Amino acid sequence: MTKSAWGWTWFGFLLALDIAIPWFVLSHVEKVSGAFLFWAIWAVVAIISVFIILLKWRGVEK
Amino acid sequence: MSATFWVWFGIAVYIAVGLGIALMARRQLGVGVSEFFLANRRVGGFVSALSYSATTYSAFMMVGLVGLTYFTGVGALGFELTYLCGMFMMVFFLPRFWLVGRKYGYVSPMELLSDRYQNRGVGATTAILALVFLVPYGAVQLMGVGYLMNGVSGGAIPVVAGIIIAVVCAIAWSSIAGLRSVAWTDAFQALIMIVTSAAVLGVVIAALGGFGAFFSKLEAASPGLLTVPTAGGSWNINMFIGLALPWLFFLISNPQVSQRLFIPKSVTAMKQMLGGFLIFGFIYTLISVLWGFGAHLLVPGLENADLATPKLLALPIIPTGLAIVVMIGITAAAISTIDSILLTLSSVWARDIHRGLINRKVSERGELRVGQWVIPIMAIIAFLFAWWVTEQPQGGLNLMIAPLSSAASAGLLMAVPTIFGAFFWKRATALGAMVSCIAGAVLVLIFQITGARPLGWWPGTWGFIVCVILFIGVSLFTRPPKDKAEEFIGYLRESLKKGNFI
Repeated sequence: MTKSAWGWTWFGFLLALDIAIPWFVLSHVEKVSGAFLFWAIWAVVAIISVFIILLKWRGVEK
Repeated sequence: MSATFWVWFGIAVYIAVGLGIALMARRQLGVGVSEFFLANRRVGGFVSALSYSATTYSAFMMVGLVGLTYFTGVGALGFELTYLCGMFMMVFFLPRFWLVGRKYGYVSPMELLSDRYQNRGVGATTAILALVFLVPYGAVQLMGVGYLMNGVSGGAIPVVAGIIIAVVCAIAWSSIAGLRSVAWTDAFQALIMIVTSAAVLGVVIAALGGFGAFFSKLEAASPGLLTVPTAGGSWNINMFIGLALPWLFFLISNPQVSQRLFIPKSVTAMKQMLGGFLIFGFIYTLISVLWGFGAHLLVPGLENADLATPKLLALPIIPTGLAIVVMIGITAAAISTIDSILLTLSSVWARDIHRGLINRKVSERGELRVGQWVIPIMAIIAFLFAWWVTEQPQGGLNLMIAPLSSAASAGLLMAVPTIFGAFFWKRATALGAMVSCIAGAVLVLIFQITGARPLGWWPGTWGFIVCVILFIGVSLFTRPPKDKAEEFIGYLRESLKKGNFI
């Protein structure tokens, strides 16, 4: 699989979690440690993923 | 001295500093269209990051998202963070926009589409889409400023006066030095936004006994707000997808932000722009949502969601000075979005409508002059729209902010398949692009106006499905611009490899 395909697959996986966990796993957890904490951690994971990719970018001439 | 005096004083200081920054930016203004609309593609990472943040985050965050959280709970956090997660797509689109922008000299995202599809109609169609849906969105920002100033001053500042202040600032900061003045004032405004909102959150959390007590009180008072769907029926999956889908693709569907992908001066600046924005966005989103929960605990029982922020700021625990500074912060969020919209729409009109359709032989100077004239004209149209809405007997903000924002983002979503096709599908055609944009946008408008939601799906969801099907279907039956597609995507393939982009 190409790096691009890996990237799209990972993004799709993150989006699947975005729906699956809050609505099907945590839907009865009425606490801050439920959907609130999940989404906060989930966003941090997404942001770290972007940073990992960014760090590999290098300068290109026009 | 009265609170009204201090409100006016705060506004005067804000305008004076913003004006000073814009005039400083003008000293570096060169000549030409690319210079005026893109700062000659030479913007540093720090300013790019703050400007992108200020442009993206409008008054919606501190008014709309706070109210949404107040009434519907944690789903609002998921909705807004889904947008931020959508920024993952920047790892694909940022280098692509940036690379082709430099190679082909594109000024607007629509010009990119016209060239890639070898058809000016594609650029004109997406330009009209932007004009139709962004003017009302800009008007909503103006209304937000008007209502906020009116509320914080206890009614002493008329709504229309607040709207006029916002219009004048937006015109000035987008006209004085084009993107240079917009980017510099945006950077200043982004700092105001984050610092002032964090300060109020600190006061609110302290008043509730610290973070631990705050969360305990929230769990005890309103446990239903901490799950999806809520007991009241909010945030079912259809609602979530309906709201989040347009937001997910905001980074490419909204030209005022996608145009920013042309401006970083280097790969390092691109990295700083994206990284800085993600950090800013995460913090600002959490602050806005925690404001909403804080308001729910401190001012319960509101009937109008958009009043959550003004009521929170009116509490005795918030010092008047801080409330005024926050009002400036929210005003900054609104104006930094409007001035970017005005600048982008003016470039789109000048490049994609005037030069693309009306006068193909116009000189660069003439094109720039047209663009500069369009800025106040668009601002006046947005002002008249906002003024008209506020004069409606049903009430302005309550009536319009949610449906207009929602309709705008859902309408702009219809350009997304065309943009994907430009970068990733050689078989994509101009007719597929135009038919999908027009049919999708018309469908969204009809569903928005009639309130129709077949199967419970939102207008943006239906529009997007129809748009994707039409884009693929029509493209398969029409002839693509083969040579351009090979050259465009081939160039990207090589350059992406060199930069280790994905």
